[in-house]
Amino acid sequence: MPEWVNTDMGGATAALDYDAELMLRVKDGDGASFGVLLEKHRSSVVHFLYRMVQHQAVAEELAQEVFLRVYRSRGTYEPTAKFTTWLFRIATHLALNSLRDGKNERSQERLDERSEDMPARQVEDHRPSVEQSMVRKAALDEVRQAVAALPDKQRAAVLMHKYKEMEYTQIARVLNCSESAVKSLLFRAYETLRARLAHMA
Amino acid sequence: MRCPLETRENREILVAYSSRALNAGDTELLEAHLQTCSACREFVRGQRVVWEALDGWEAAPVSADFDRRLFARIEQDVSWWQRMRGRLRPLLVYRALPVTAVAAVVVAGALLDWPWRPKVMPRPATAQVEGLQPDQVVHALDEMEVLNQFNHLMKPDSTEPKM
Repeated sequence: MPEWVNTDMGGATAALDYDAELMLRVKDGDGASFGVLLEKHRSSVVHFLYRMVQHQAVAEELAQEVFLRVYRSRGTYEPTAKFTTWLFRIATHLALNSLRDGKNERSQERLDERSEDMPARQVEDHRPSVEQSMVRKAALDEVRQAVAALPDKQRAAVLMHKYKEMEYTQIARVLNCSESAVKSLLFRAYETLRARLAHMA
Repeated sequence: MRCPLETRENREILVAYSSRALNAGDTELLEAHLQTCSACREFVRGQRVVWEALDGWEAAPVSADFDRRLFARIEQDVSWWQRMRGRLRPLLVYRALPVTAVAAVVVAGALLDWPWRPKVMPRPATAQVEGLQPDQVVHALDEMEVLNQFNHLMKPDSTEPKM
């Protein structure tokens, strides 16, 4: 089924994405459609939240809350925006609250503890040497710390732009700000990252 | 082409180009500009370093029991609501009528007692009598006696006045 479907809504033709259609089915009591939405967006939401809070357990807990809120809101759901905009608005809101409340204030320490668990880019032909692994781990830690050091909103904007490939308009809707504000956030964030990661060239 | 770094609005072109998200036409124009602008070349080089560094940061896979935990929470959420409804149902079904009836009586009573019906306070007929003290009665009788004597003085030929 195409991602975008033209649906006639009260005489006016509105573009309704497939996710929104699924959500409307959930609203009508179709639990299976919720399963489809979960399957489709689970990893995306968890990964976004992980990069935001940099703690796997906290990220999964927040992701659970995101999908729980989606399910709870099914009765009042109206497809006024793209489904993923709504989904990531909830996710971003929860992540920013979590960061503000300091729930993961020890995330940097735990991040270091968990470094071994994190998948690095695997080379298919042979296993990397110990030295290569250590270099890669150090580089990865540096990237994570550089991202963690960004102000929360800049971080959210960069993660949506880089990993979710969202357009400025969608990021603006998620962050509830203007498109020019998003451009400014991204430019400042990348400027900081360029300065911190320049030596990795 | 005007240097994208000169205007804040156009800097995004460099970011888009670095992430290979710029359309073909603009890419061609920008690449021509990059031949002559070292500042933009440096910007693009730095941005590509960032882009590649971020590419290397992969998130961990989601826990295998993520869905099970979520559906358990949803189930808990739903059952909580069902429990609440279950508890409220007897109140609504079995006690709704008596409660409604009592409420109706209370409302009707309140309406009957509404201030737009002015209360007529009956004037106590014996209020003044009840209020008289014995010495006042004696005094009144004395005054009647004085008046009676005065009448006799004014009309010596008349008989006793009829009271």
